[in-house]
Amino acid sequence: MSTAKVKNNPHAGLPGARHRWRFHLSALLLFIPVASGSTFFHEEALFFGYAGLGEGKPAKMAIGPWQVEIAEYRVDVPATAGSSKTFAIRWDPGIADRIKASYLKIAQPHTPRTAGALLSGGHFRQTADVLIPDEIKPEDLLWMTVEAWDGSVHHANIPIYEVSSTTSAWLRRQPPKIVTQP
Amino acid sequence: MATTGQAKKKKKGTRLWLIVHSWLALPLWVLIFFVCLTGTIATVSQELVWLVNPDVRAFPPRPDAVPLTYDAILEAIREAKPDVAVSYISRLAMPYFALDVLADFPDGTSRLLFVNPYTGEIQGTGGFFEFRYFVRALHGWLLVPFSGGASWGWYIVSGLSVPLLGSLVSGIVIYKKFWRAYLNPRIRLRSGARIFWGDFHRLIGIWSIPFIAIIAVTASWFLIQHALTHNNVTISTARLTPPLASPNISYSDNKKPRWVSLDRAVNAVSEVFPGFTADFISLPGSAAGHIAVSGRSAYPLIFGNASVDPYSGKVLITRGLSDRSWLELVTESMRPLHTGDFAGLWLKLVYFFFGLLFTMMVFSGMMIWLKRTAQATVELARDVKADRAISTTSSVREATK
Repeated sequence: MSTAKVKNNPHAGLPGARHRWRFHLSALLLFIPVASGSTFFHEEALFFGYAGLGEGKPAKMAIGPWQVEIAEYRVDVPATAGSSKTFAIRWDPGIADRIKASYLKIAQPHTPRTAGALLSGGHFRQTADVLIPDEIKPEDLLWMTVEAWDGSVHHANIPIYEVSSTTSAWLRRQPPKIVTQP
Repeated sequence: MATTGQAKKKKKGTRLWLIVHSWLALPLWVLIFFVCLTGTIATVSQELVWLVNPDVRAFPPRPDAVPLTYDAILEAIREAKPDVAVSYISRLAMPYFALDVLADFPDGTSRLLFVNPYTGEIQGTGGFFEFRYFVRALHGWLLVPFSGGASWGWYIVSGLSVPLLGSLVSGIVIYKKFWRAYLNPRIRLRSGARIFWGDFHRLIGIWSIPFIAIIAVTASWFLIQHALTHNNVTISTARLTPPLASPNISYSDNKKPRWVSLDRAVNAVSEVFPGFTADFISLPGSAAGHIAVSGRSAYPLIFGNASVDPYSGKVLITRGLSDRSWLELVTESMRPLHTGDFAGLWLKLVYFFFGLLFTMMVFSGMMIWLKRTAQATVELARDVKADRAISTTSSVREATK
């Protein structure tokens, strides 16, 4: 018969009685910043204009007497129709001072009041969140309206597929809309 | 008899708290250590940049030198770099720092210019990598990109406030009569690692109670705040700044009309806020935008903000202390309380010091656990062995009887 008294385990209930090493596995969580690092720096470069106008390839567009560069800020598709997508533009230095305001819209604008999203940001490079209308079609145009400081107003347009091929491809994949007549 | 029973019960309770205390931080100890360390570095990131990069240092040329006004700064930049457009000017609340001026370059990039506040000289240009923001992002959301206004990295980091609050409370409960240790501090250096790390953990623990409480409470607010923004809930009473009606001015040279003097805008805002210093001015981002001026006033934790019409110089909207609800006064104080950036360098250094202690708390807690489990395992193994040896001899005896 045993006479020695076995002590209660002083460690009962405390973490890591057997597998102490498991608690160092939290070091694996440090892969989160390592893995996110490249996206972080890409976003920073994009934000400060070091990665070009946007992720998309910029297109040139003539508007009134001027030229403007336009690109999609991110190569992605809108979350849904009815959501928005960001576009960026850049003016040449001689022109930027003459522009009072510029707007983007997916549909033909009729007056400056309905010209769409106002572009804002820096002096030369500006962005706007353009609403993706519910009834958008793949062959639709992106319209730009420019109001100059001399009072003149100019319009120009560019097919969506030229500035965002991802969006037009996405639109082609959408099921046809059922239009219910009231 | 009754007292021993009570004592036993008490001991059992303490043990339960110890188990809770151990489980709270240990499973995530490396992450908590990392967040504490990066947060500690973030409190003095500005000063670290100052030490490394001479471009951001600015000493007054004479002891009685006064900084240039904002208009003079703009003019100096225009002369040195006529092709850039200034987007904002930020004056750090510290002496001996250059102004941060964000400027738009014709190639489409935006870069920080480090401008001497006394001479207007552009001392250097920054790139898109900014150490201060990088450390802040590493600490605050583990660099996980935001999508839809939220970053799951932010949830992870601010979620650590829950085990942190738990550790603080359970630590205080376990440490019986901890206030006695304020007068009789004890660190035993020669009684082995387990004893040393235990003394260390308890000693810096009791001195860090207010600091850890501040960090834990503010961090839990960041968790709540992020969840609110993520779900488009706002507690703000601020009115949206309406865009300016497009000014109906056409100019004969067909160019953008000049904005009002920044000094005039600052003066107009100063009349509204007593004791106001304009620390930050941003220029309109479109023809419908405002000149935005913000800065510290009487209560250092919260900035006063104002919007000024860039064409008429009229102050359109002001937002000071009295415009905020009590809930906003509390919640808007959370960030400066968390960072310690509201009373000058001395407070930043205090935060840095306690941040280091805090980081060491996490490390020492892990060390205690390592040593304790190691010791416990050894003891347990020894007891079991001894027990087995005795029982074998007795059974052999019994068998040979």
